Amino acid sequence: MSISQRQLALLLVAPGLALVAALFLYPLSFSLISAFTGPQGGVSLDAFRKAWEFYSGDVLFTVVIVLASCLFTGLAAIIIAGTLTLGENRWIVGTLKALYRWPLFIPFIVAAQCMRTFLAKNGLMNNSFVALGLMEPLQTVSFLDWRGIIATFVWKQTPFVALLLAGALAAIDRAMLEAGRNLGASRLRVLVELALPQVMPQLLVALVLSFVTMLSVLSVPMMVAGSQPTMLTVDMAFRINSYGDYATANALGVITYLLSAGAAIIYLKRGMAAKEGAP
Amino acid sequence: MSGVGAAIEVRGLHVAYGGTKVLHGIDLDFAPGTFTALLGSSGCGKTTLLRSLSGFVPVESGSIAVGGKDVAGLPPEKRGMAMVFQSYALWPHMTVLQNIGYGLKLRGASKGDIAAKVSSLLAMLGLAGYEDRKVTAMSGGQRQRVALGRALAVDPGILLLDEPLSNLDAKIRMTMRHEIRAIQQRLGVTTIHVTHDREEAMTMADRLVIMNAGRIAQIGTPEEVYDRPNSAFVANFMGAENVLPLRVEPGEGSAAITAGEARGVLPNELGLALPAGEALAYFRDDVVSLDAPDAAAGEDLVVPGRIAARSYPGGLYRYRVEAAGRQITVDHAVRHEPGAAVGLRIPLSRLHIFPAAQASIPA
Repeated sequence: MSISQRQLALLLVAPGLALVAALFLYPLSFSLISAFTGPQGGVSLDAFRKAWEFYSGDVLFTVVIVLASCLFTGLAAIIIAGTLTLGENRWIVGTLKALYRWPLFIPFIVAAQCMRTFLAKNGLMNNSFVALGLMEPLQTVSFLDWRGIIATFVWKQTPFVALLLAGALAAIDRAMLEAGRNLGASRLRVLVELALPQVMPQLLVALVLSFVTMLSVLSVPMMVAGSQPTMLTVDMAFRINSYGDYATANALGVITYLLSAGAAIIYLKRGMAAKEGAP
Repeated sequence: MSGVGAAIEVRGLHVAYGGTKVLHGIDLDFAPGTFTALLGSSGCGKTTLLRSLSGFVPVESGSIAVGGKDVAGLPPEKRGMAMVFQSYALWPHMTVLQNIGYGLKLRGASKGDIAAKVSSLLAMLGLAGYEDRKVTAMSGGQRQRVALGRALAVDPGILLLDEPLSNLDAKIRMTMRHEIRAIQQRLGVTTIHVTHDREEAMTMADRLVIMNAGRIAQIGTPEEVYDRPNSAFVANFMGAENVLPLRVEPGEGSAAITAGEARGVLPNELGLALPAGEALAYFRDDVVSLDAPDAAAGEDLVVPGRIAARSYPGGLYRYRVEAAGRQITVDHAVRHEPGAAVGLRIPLSRLHIFPAAQASIPA
């Protein structure tokens, strides 16, 4: 018995397909169905109603936190990648190059733990300020709230975005940047007006991927910030662990999924535009 | 658009990359409004010299004075020199108008002024009406014109050309040579052109600076450098690639020259200026002609040899002739068969003769 090329191809991708189906499609469909199923069975939006009633504030909080983190991550990455590309002080560039990737290799939960000890009222940061005489012990405040989440996200995601951005900047013909300096542009203007516009697609892709990553992190909001308001991942864990309320948790999951789908659309649109723009 | 060229004085310029010395004390003057070509083979330091003038390569020691003011310590944006790059270096996210107008925008010109200036530059460059075109939608020749326009838009006193024609195809390169030269003469801008193309340098520049291993080998007009090279290196680099070992014996008011069995006499100053003893003569393919091996020498040197190979590049035959233990390339109109015994007739006055000890260029 001989099998056709087509059958052989299907046979070859079958194990991978089975894995995706079992580990991703099945749970996804299960939670989607669960989100849209009422307490008595049948299609219902009850879970969404409940989720919105209890957690609409947290949806907004999540979106604002993640968008703000993306913004600051983008800025920090631009500063780092710009310094790496256009920096003239070899000592600064060398040190930055050696240091900036480290957070990439640190898991979110460890990053969150570090930030707890760093940003707390009597944490390393405030203690250092007090020791330096910059403030009195009584003036110290804890940053373990929304600011802590943003700081952790930015610290953790900046290397990833900076890595992609620095790679894209390094691929630009040096002569293009030199042409700008030659005509009288400062290094900052060269970065902002000549280099960055050319690497916007890469920056956007890196930020979209960071957006989706940050949206799905549970450990950071749980460890760094207090209970309210908090991010959707914490709410989902709470619904399941405390109440066994899978329907509401799944409804929150669907909302999260829609948010990241929005980011995915931007990502795909960029990809299509790049393909059309290519010669 | 009547930019008056600025004068540049380079004194004792030393440049190193890491620990490697690239320029070993360059002294060079550029008079206002002149067109100078820096010519040399790869790695001779010509691009480094241009880049140190423009500020992209830090100077180890020495000075670069523009209009009497030392700019060696200034960043590139403060030097008032406009550069055209080999890769064009146009910004792909900008239109032609934005590319050419960028330098003016940096100088705070109004939108109307920028548009007017760009429009007149485009007319001069034969690209009228191309303002809103994307630079990525243009041909190589058009892009290089835009790059030239971008450099000229700021009315620079000094224009630096870093092998601007190397990426263009042969036909467009010829046209651009003349265009760049014509524009330079019209604007009177001091221009420094880096190239490894001898013909390009000869046809465009008022003055050639031949560089070798980080030093200046010779400075002169194209005629001086071509006809009177001051060293074996320059002779060889300027196309005198045939090498013939000789012996020079000075006599009364002349010098006797022997190459194996061949003998000749160079009279007057030509002969008296020659170094005595073992020497090497450099000459071009086109100064030699083929004759009978026993032809009368007259005022030439007739060196017997044998044709080793023949090819036909068009118009003339190109022969490789074995003579005096060397391989000599000869361009000649008459067809001879390989293996034939011939006499190489070389006019003595067309030889560039240097002492053998100085001429280290291998044949």
